[in-house]
Amino acid sequence: MVEAAESHYTEYAIEEFLVRDEPYYRPVGDEIELFTAAYRQHIPVLLKGPTGCGKTRFVEFMAWQLGRPLAVVKEDKGAKADVLKDGEVRVPLVTIACHEDLTASDLVGRYLLDANGTRWIDGPMTRAVKAGAILYLDEVVEARKDTTVLIHPLTDHRRILPVEKTGSIIEADDRFLLCVSYNPGYQSALKDLKHSTRQRFISIEFYYPPAHIETEIIQRESGCTKEHADALAKLGEKIRNLEDHGLQEGASTRLLIYAGRLMSEGISPRRAAQVAIVWTLTDDPELQRSVEEVSSSIFE
Amino acid sequence: MTNDPISEIESELAKLPPAVLEAYRAANETVKESFGEEEINLWAKEGLTIGTQTVRSWESAIEYYQVSPEVSKFLSFPSFMQWARCGTYLAQDSPTLAVAFFKSSVSIVPNLRPQYIPRWAGLGRSLYKGTWKSSTLAAKFFEVSPDLVRNLPFWDVEVFASLIEALSFKSYDVAGECLVLGRDVLPAMGREREPFLAMSRALIDTSWREVKTCLELVPRALQQVDESQTGRFLKLGERLAKVGLRDTSRFLADGTQALSKVPQGSQGYILDLCDGLVVITPDAVPPFLRSLDDVLNRITVSQLDTWFQHGVKLLQENPESGIAFFKIESNTSEAMLETLSSSLELDRVKGILRLYCRALSGTPLEIYNTQELVQRNIGWVDEDLASTDGSKVFLPSVVDHYPNKQDNFAWFKVVSTHQVAHLEFGSFEYQFENVAAQFEDRRHAMEEAANERKGLERAATRESYEMAAKLLASGAEGDVDMSADYVDPNDMGSNRTFTDIGRFLDIFENSRLAFDIFTVLEDCRLDYRIKVEYPGIRASSSRVQTETLVNRPRIEDMPLQQGLVELLIHMSLDQFQNLPVAKEYEEAAEMLSSILHELRNAEANVEDTSEATLRAYEVISRVPNQQEEEDQFEEQDLEEPGDFSEEDYESLIDQLQAGMDASAEAGDGESYESPDPVDYRGDFKPEMVQLMTKLQADNGEEGDAQPMTQEMLEQLLQESPELELDAEQGDIDENMSAFAQNIMKEAGTPPPNSEPGEGYGPLLHDDDSGGELEAREPATYVYDEWDFRANDYKPRWCIVKEKTVEEGDVSFYQESLKTYSALSNHIRRQFELIMPESMRKTYRLVDGEDIDLNAALEAWMDLKMGVPPDEKIYWHRNRNHREVAVVFLLDMSASTAEAIDEGRQTVDDRDAPDDPVEYMVWLRRRREGLVRRNYKRIIDLEKEGTTLLINALESIGDTYGIYGFSGYGRENVEFYVIKDINEAFSDKVKRRIDKVTPLHATRMGAAIRHCTTKLENQDARTKIMFLISDGRPQDRGYSREGVEKEYAVHDTHMALVEAKRKDIIPFCLTVDKQGHDYLKSMCGDMGYEVLADIWSLPERLPMLYRQLTAIRQ
Repeated sequence: MVEAAESHYTEYAIEEFLVRDEPYYRPVGDEIELFTAAYRQHIPVLLKGPTGCGKTRFVEFMAWQLGRPLAVVKEDKGAKADVLKDGEVRVPLVTIACHEDLTASDLVGRYLLDANGTRWIDGPMTRAVKAGAILYLDEVVEARKDTTVLIHPLTDHRRILPVEKTGSIIEADDRFLLCVSYNPGYQSALKDLKHSTRQRFISIEFYYPPAHIETEIIQRESGCTKEHADALAKLGEKIRNLEDHGLQEGASTRLLIYAGRLMSEGISPRRAAQVAIVWTLTDDPELQRSVEEVSSSIFE
Repeated sequence: MTNDPISEIESELAKLPPAVLEAYRAANETVKESFGEEEINLWAKEGLTIGTQTVRSWESAIEYYQVSPEVSKFLSFPSFMQWARCGTYLAQDSPTLAVAFFKSSVSIVPNLRPQYIPRWAGLGRSLYKGTWKSSTLAAKFFEVSPDLVRNLPFWDVEVFASLIEALSFKSYDVAGECLVLGRDVLPAMGREREPFLAMSRALIDTSWREVKTCLELVPRALQQVDESQTGRFLKLGERLAKVGLRDTSRFLADGTQALSKVPQGSQGYILDLCDGLVVITPDAVPPFLRSLDDVLNRITVSQLDTWFQHGVKLLQENPESGIAFFKIESNTSEAMLETLSSSLELDRVKGILRLYCRALSGTPLEIYNTQELVQRNIGWVDEDLASTDGSKVFLPSVVDHYPNKQDNFAWFKVVSTHQVAHLEFGSFEYQFENVAAQFEDRRHAMEEAANERKGLERAATRESYEMAAKLLASGAEGDVDMSADYVDPNDMGSNRTFTDIGRFLDIFENSRLAFDIFTVLEDCRLDYRIKVEYPGIRASSSRVQTETLVNRPRIEDMPLQQGLVELLIHMSLDQFQNLPVAKEYEEAAEMLSSILHELRNAEANVEDTSEATLRAYEVISRVPNQQEEEDQFEEQDLEEPGDFSEEDYESLIDQLQAGMDASAEAGDGESYESPDPVDYRGDFKPEMVQLMTKLQADNGEEGDAQPMTQEMLEQLLQESPELELDAEQGDIDENMSAFAQNIMKEAGTPPPNSEPGEGYGPLLHDDDSGGELEAREPATYVYDEWDFRANDYKPRWCIVKEKTVEEGDVSFYQESLKTYSALSNHIRRQFELIMPESMRKTYRLVDGEDIDLNAALEAWMDLKMGVPPDEKIYWHRNRNHREVAVVFLLDMSASTAEAIDEGRQTVDDRDAPDDPVEYMVWLRRRREGLVRRNYKRIIDLEKEGTTLLINALESIGDTYGIYGFSGYGRENVEFYVIKDINEAFSDKVKRRIDKVTPLHATRMGAAIRHCTTKLENQDARTKIMFLISDGRPQDRGYSREGVEKEYAVHDTHMALVEAKRKDIIPFCLTVDKQGHDYLKSMCGDMGYEVLADIWSLPERLPMLYRQLTAIRQ
């Protein structure tokens, strides 16, 4: 008897989502120390870097790390801090992927009509501010201009979120931290952060890790062999050489990991590289061919 | 005489059949309106004359009277009478003819000049030969004449008529048919009519039956040929017909078919080839054209030449076999196509290889073919060997080692990977002082020893010189102090250490041998490294190695020393088994193998190679270079020689030294010669590369070290073992100085003999010394310029002169729209889509002008059902008025005149020589010229893009201006108005676009500032400045101290920043592929794009604009 597959999932309220298992993150520089320091000092953080180089993973990792008992988190004076067990602190992670239609009320909240009239519903930003979460706005340049204005009072000494519609102001929980990510590669799309916004953050720059670390990451994440991981890291490095020579952006670590995963499933390396990397990176036939030649040199 | 002439005539007419008089009377009334009384008489009388010519000519008279009223409207009386008289003569010969003549006159007279009428009548007359058939033909001629005359110039009608006449001698039927065919076919022809008629004319003498078929075929056939080429094609037909080629009609059909299938733009070239064939063997032309399609399916147009030339050679030797060749009925032809079709031209894969090499090396390498390297004359001489000079990779222009393209491409890949490996794995980064990874460093000790040796030698030379001088002085009169003139050649020796490689090679007595060993070992190290790092090409590279091995010379046939070098080469090519080794030197061979094996290690670096070289040299140089008997050799297996040990090495050296000392008397053996190069590894010139790099670096930072003079360079080159010169001693010196000069040019060193402070110092400073300028003339403006070093503006520095572009022809505008009609429609549609957006209602909003009924109802229903309703129940009209003002600034600098492919050599000679061989040569050269002229220039694409844009902009009504800029010097920045921003679009603008041409330099900053001024005065919410350029900004004096290119970039950047401060959005689009480096600093955080494919400019330009304005709205 085959039982009908039962789906397993867990649902969290957005501000209750905690990173409970340690996410794999391989530090390249002093970014962990920097972020920890910024967290303690309530300084918002801007993560700069190309796509797929580990920004989001880093934030997850930090949320986990800061929640750990051993991490020295500034002791909370308020009663709000709900200590879980043995010194563990709750550091929820609220991630919002920004897009062109993301409005201020999507973030702050809005009135909904219900049977008895209207009811105010907090948006994810409001919840994060209240719950003292790390609020991670992914690809913040994509958001509409009016949303960036919301960020301003939250990111300076005031740490407040004015909610216009309800006529209230929310003071952020002491553990609240705003963290945004931004990919400076999209210069020509005329999208850029305003300086008034920019200068409210410390900026941590990310780039693809150096080859030997990347090998480590690929191997760990994809479970492929050391040789394949090595070759993939090399391929990544070579392809990144083509940035500005036709390629908009080089192969991200994420893509390399995808290729590695396919390989560990038994797909032939060249094919894996082709579908995961070459075809993903570009539609230009000549460029495709060139990248493929590089890949066919590296993989047997 | 009361009887007036009229009644007299009437009575005469009455004698003829009554119809004549009736016709006369009918016509009389109308004719009176045109002619006077006297004239009427003459008119009537002429009719009578006609009617009385022959028995049946009264019919002609009727016709005459009937048409007279019509004809008289168009002709003055004298012309009229002339016409009538023509009819009279015709009636004399044949009344039918006259009837036909008069009948067609009605429609012909309005179209034919009166003075041609007699000639026209004559044409018909000449067809009449007194026979019944001929009169039918002549009558038919008159019948078709109105159509002919209406549509063709009279000259062509005459030619055609004479053609028909000639044809009528052969057959009246055919002539008649052709006449009718001609009427239908000829008018549709344009310029090709004349050559076609000439061709037909030529046919009559040889194969007249063809004429008709040709006429039938020609309209369809010629459609397949480029309009510009039809004339030439027909001329070719004419030449063929003249030499008696049968089947011209088939030639016409097959030929045009063949031409229709060749790639665009190359029809002219094919015709060139045909012209060449006609000179040699006309019979070969049709087979050539017939096989053309097949051939071109297998090889490219550029390869065609090789195949064709071979055929021509055969033709000259033996026409039969030549024709068979062109029919592809010979093995040679087949085999040749086979090779050609599988060969791979560098040009076709250049793009891929370039990116491949860039990816591997991480530097912006360029790929060139080896010929270009040789042409530069800087020391590289071999056209077939790949090479690299550190920033460029040179590859042979064609590979045909294998019978298919994949394998040939694989070869390219192996070769370029090897070249890139020099960069990737640091061949050129050799540092004398760096530490080797595998070996102990012996270099320094060796260098000391070498210096000591040289010191001794020098002393010896000096001594003997002085001795000689003394002797001379004692013998000669006076006191010639020669010792003062003595220049120690080795004082210059320090030059050799200019580069690290040079310094290393200078250690050795026989630096050629040392360099050869170094080359082999370094290549061995790289090949091994490549195999480790790039397992993917292991297979193809092993294959190449194996094939190379087969062609290597036999070790047994060489003198011992050379044999050992060859042994190293064999081992470097992965052959370790069955190597022939002279018994006496078994240990030496083993030692060499163990040295070489140390380099087969991924950790080995270039310094290891040098240490290995040093050791291998010590071993090999102690072996006499003598030929050894074949039986003295034994096959050895050197796969596992064991680890290299310094002790073994030293004892071996001692042993060899002892052997050498013992046999010192026996003579030195043969002098050492370098081994044959290993093809796929190409030319390795580390010293040259280091030299160039160093020269370039020295240029960058002026002053610190004493610069290299040409003499020093020549000296250095002469001593370098990398340069092989076969020329006579005298030439070498000459070559050397040429090399040296070219190298300095390459490196960007100022030409020798130029005193600093002369040359380009102050000359280019002159702008600095000038002061502020003033705009005195009308339509001139003064702008500041930013000096980034001074961090301040130079006040009133540039004068911008505004001019309006001359007006040219509208056709450029129209042609461009036609060429891109599909695209322009697409763009227009896209643009129009922007418009309605601004007026569209947006529904389901949280807030808006009024309640959106649909949404509100849904919300209400949800409320009733107890479901939380959607709150978006309003609509809003988007009042986003599109208020865009934009200026486009086109780069009109001289560089935009560049053809969009790599420049080809210009052809100056345009006269075709008579000699067939010379003719072919000339043809090939001319073809290059033709190809070149078919290419577009950058500015053409700029213009086309602008055209499309204008077309699109007109549809959405944005305010826009189009300007071009160029100029020379700061007092002469020319600013051309193509369409002023406030000017309405008109034909004038269209005509101006035609006249936009490449001019001088590009002082972008001033032009941008002027644009800013223009935009500033505009009252629009969004203002955009769109800059289209093809390279760096540059101009005379547009730099600091003449050389800093950065100055121009910074000024341009500042100008853009100024624009931005005034709420103008600047955007730069460049077609310069190298644009990324300076655009980043030039545009900073402003938008820019580097167009990878120049051809996409017309398409990309409007699209970019749309995006740009869409985002801002």
